[in-house]
Amino acid sequence: MIQTQRINWFLVVSLLIFPLIAYFHLTVGQQEISLTDFKNAIFAYDSTNTAQLLAREFRFPRLIMACVAGAGLSLAGMLMQTLFNNPLAGPYVLGINSGASLMVAISLLTGIQFFGTNLGLISSALIGAFAAGMLMMSVVGFLKSQVSLLLVGLMFGSFTSAIVSFLEISSKAEQLKSFTLWSMGSLQNVLLEQIPLILLFFVIGIIISALIVKPLNLLVLGENAASLLGIKIQQTRIIILIITALFTGLITAFCGPIAFVGLAVPNITRILLKTQNHFYLIAGNLLIGSAFLVLCDILIQVLESEIQLPINVLTSLIGAPFVIFVLIRKMK
Amino acid sequence: MIHFKQAEIGYKNPLLKVTDLSLEAGKVYALVGRNGSGKSTFLRSITGQTPLLAGEITINSVSIKNANAIEKSKTIAFVESKFDGIAFLSVANYLALGRAPYTNALGRLSQADWDFVNQVANEIGIETFLQKETLSLSDGERQLCAIARAIVQETPVLLFDEPSAFLDYANKQILVDKLLQIAQEKQKCIVFSTHDLDLCIENKIEFLALKNKSLQKASGLSKLELISLLETKS
Repeated sequence: MIQTQRINWFLVVSLLIFPLIAYFHLTVGQQEISLTDFKNAIFAYDSTNTAQLLAREFRFPRLIMACVAGAGLSLAGMLMQTLFNNPLAGPYVLGINSGASLMVAISLLTGIQFFGTNLGLISSALIGAFAAGMLMMSVVGFLKSQVSLLLVGLMFGSFTSAIVSFLEISSKAEQLKSFTLWSMGSLQNVLLEQIPLILLFFVIGIIISALIVKPLNLLVLGENAASLLGIKIQQTRIIILIITALFTGLITAFCGPIAFVGLAVPNITRILLKTQNHFYLIAGNLLIGSAFLVLCDILIQVLESEIQLPINVLTSLIGAPFVIFVLIRKMK
Repeated sequence: MIHFKQAEIGYKNPLLKVTDLSLEAGKVYALVGRNGSGKSTFLRSITGQTPLLAGEITINSVSIKNANAIEKSKTIAFVESKFDGIAFLSVANYLALGRAPYTNALGRLSQADWDFVNQVANEIGIETFLQKETLSLSDGERQLCAIARAIVQETPVLLFDEPSAFLDYANKQILVDKLLQIAQEKQKCIVFSTHDLDLCIENKIEFLALKNKSLQKASGLSKLELISLLETKS
């Protein structure tokens, strides 16, 4: 099969290129760190060595967070696009981010003690993501066209941002500052100690996604046809909702809202791999998604001496035109 | 094979009552009726997508209500309306999805499954474009693919909602020939809804005529008789 060969080549080549991008990302910061320092930072850590400290406490967490955020958002986007049978779906456009953002705004801006903690931030983002996901799932049944789902997502986004604006006006300067910083998005907020927990959730999400490859492949035919081929639709929907909300909530809590990655990368992956086999699509989305966000973050760090470019601003600058491109392709 | 007993079909209010009807294996039935007479709903009631308001439909003496999703997917194959094709999905992979009821949790096809897919493709005459994308085919080719996909599912009952609607005359005849051939050779029970009365009369296909909230078998009628039957007001 020519198709499978093409995919295998693609996966092998990107697996080879990926470590290079990752290494470039590690070295791109303002202070130079040698390869031996990176090695030592993992295997023979000396906390008095500034280079090693920098590598261990800042560079590695940032790289891992970039990979997890890119891969996680892309996978969430792919799941939603397949479930809704809609190339315009994604965690950001469908308001899953907005739900998380709203809850984070409530917790950061109202200054309620419990929500001020790190754990509180994560749990409120997760609650917001789940609530928004449930809302979207319940609305989708009433919608006939693919574009109307997008519109509902946009309206939900406007609605939540109105509430957020209201909260911003009525909050104190200090709280406002921390929320504004969060909402710009950053890959540097994560601490080394938090990485294992994030990776654990991330891996669990990927494994569950891999287990629903068969329902995903059949959902391409539409929900009705898939259920007539023996797929339990309700169960599949719930699993997809859980993974999507988990990834989006977790990533949004740590990095702030990151726009369009979850919409653009799954489309790029389908176009590059030319397949509807979700086993390959999952692998492709993980690879392309993490590479994409790592490259974005490299650009941010290269430009850092000239301008401060928050990650959310950059992905929007790239992503919004891409959505228009997909729309035009679809409408033709 | 399929038996209707006092079945009331519809949403909330009955759209159709089928008191006693038997559909047999090895035969093709053309479901005809005016727009809105309940053709699609009738087909959906057989698949269980539209639950019966009263009564019972059994397939090989098993009530549909009691069958689970997997059992049903091994009994009934249903192609809903027009197949528009799907980006990046090849015909071979599209047909392969029809094997879903028989594959494991990961959905991998065995060599025997692939052999069966190829065999069906040969029988339907679409083996030359197995590697093509479903989106790149003509309407006629795609409709044949949809039929092949249903046959790959290897079910005793095959249902099609207006499979001939978008086909040119030559393709309509090919479609009917294939349906008749499959029903006879594989002893399947095939029901398809259609507005192509001439086509069915010429090919001596038995009609299931829907009118006045009831359904009756009709065969050997002329077109005029059939139309007046469908037009009758209560």
